[in-house]
Amino acid sequence: MAKSDDCVHILQGLLVFGNVVIGMCGIALTAECIYVVSNPHGAYPLLKATENSDIHAAAWIGIFVGLALFALSILGIIGVIKASRTLLLVYIILMLITFAFEMASSITAATHQDSQTPNVLLKQMLERYQKSDPNNNSDNEVTKTWDELMRQNHCCGVNGPSDWQNYTSAFRDTHSDADYPWPRACCVLDAEGLPVNLDGCKLGVSGYYNSNGCYDAMSGPVNTHAWGVAWFGFAILCWTFCVLLGTMFYWSGIEY
Amino acid sequence: RPALTLEQLEGVTTASTFVLDQPRCTFKDYGNAVIWLVVALDKEISNFNNSAGPGTPETAFQSFPGSVSAYMTLNATLDSYPCPKPAGDITVLRVGSETSCAKDASRPTCNGPLPGPGPYRVKFLALEGSVPVAETVWSKSITLRTAKSPSSIPTAGSGHSAGMIAITAILSILLAILLAALVATLVFCGSDSCGSSTFSKPESVTVRRYNTHHVYDQPAARL
Repeated sequence: MAKSDDCVHILQGLLVFGNVVIGMCGIALTAECIYVVSNPHGAYPLLKATENSDIHAAAWIGIFVGLALFALSILGIIGVIKASRTLLLVYIILMLITFAFEMASSITAATHQDSQTPNVLLKQMLERYQKSDPNNNSDNEVTKTWDELMRQNHCCGVNGPSDWQNYTSAFRDTHSDADYPWPRACCVLDAEGLPVNLDGCKLGVSGYYNSNGCYDAMSGPVNTHAWGVAWFGFAILCWTFCVLLGTMFYWSGIEY
Repeated sequence: RPALTLEQLEGVTTASTFVLDQPRCTFKDYGNAVIWLVVALDKEISNFNNSAGPGTPETAFQSFPGSVSAYMTLNATLDSYPCPKPAGDITVLRVGSETSCAKDASRPTCNGPLPGPGPYRVKFLALEGSVPVAETVWSKSITLRTAKSPSSIPTAGSGHSAGMIAITAILSILLAILLAALVATLVFCGSDSCGSSTFSKPESVTVRRYNTHHVYDQPAARL
């Protein structure tokens, strides 16, 4: 009897420890997803315009799943210590539902990374940057976001200034190639926002224009966020799997 | 020989402009001459006559390439092209940079943007008054950039990465195992058939203490 008492206590201890970890990870997941949702890098208008806000959906689900995990972990701890069959059954079922939601969030975040190729952004930029339709608000958003992006990160286009030469665009429709081989935001600007050397910029003399593409500056932070939401969610789910199996075993051993 | 500049510039050729090296140290003995740039379509260079005057309707930019086979522009004296070229200076001529006079017939020597991708050939011609005194050979063929339509950009999904497939597969398996385990536990243990001897709940500890109380009572009763 004493031996199985020890086993019981060890199992209880493990389950309590497992639930504590789940609770803390739930809080961490909520914090991470709130950070992702709060759009710290300003590239989200571009993502919204491509109708690809998977990362947003995944992060919102993550916030609620994190809070649910925290609440359920407390329920689990109480259930294990009191060895209550009903409490633990409720805990297991609710945890399975949360598992399914977190699974969806994790897969969505992982899928987002696959669908954000440079071509999608390139096409959107060419078709909507400086599109002179004052009624279309999202086009203005795209233009403003791109201008900010190019000025702050000292970059031009998605792959480089040659984007504007290799493809026709809404920008090219209103700005002649001779005067604007690429937008003014691609030029090195002085403190007042005017090109330091306009002829140098139009010629493409290095030092007077931005020769890098913006894809790295843009996709880097967003991909890191997507990676974080996807893989942290996956890790939490693997741990939850073990705790749930242990809880089911414990539940089956409780006297009725 | 006139040629596209060898400098590393992003805009050596664009859709309507191109950049040539200046003709430094080419026209050394013609201090009084005015040096003109002649631009013609590749297939029409044989139609150009050196005696054609600049600024006339026969060489006006605005009528190029329709009724004019070659136009003359970018005139400069030899002083603008001092020889030798100072090291480190970027000495280029941008053909096609003047957009303000492109449609202005009163400016036939306008350096306007080229109307198509070409191919073009250019040469420099030195005129003293209206007499041609020196010229370079025609350059090699210069073709400008053509822009494609953005709808030609392929945006089909690039397929699923290994990471995403791994996450989906592993999580689906885990969820399936959990559901199976839950069903098995409920079916197997739903009717109180397990848990009788494995371990007991905390309340049974107090029951045992109650029994001990009785045991202590017995010897007292016997006496």
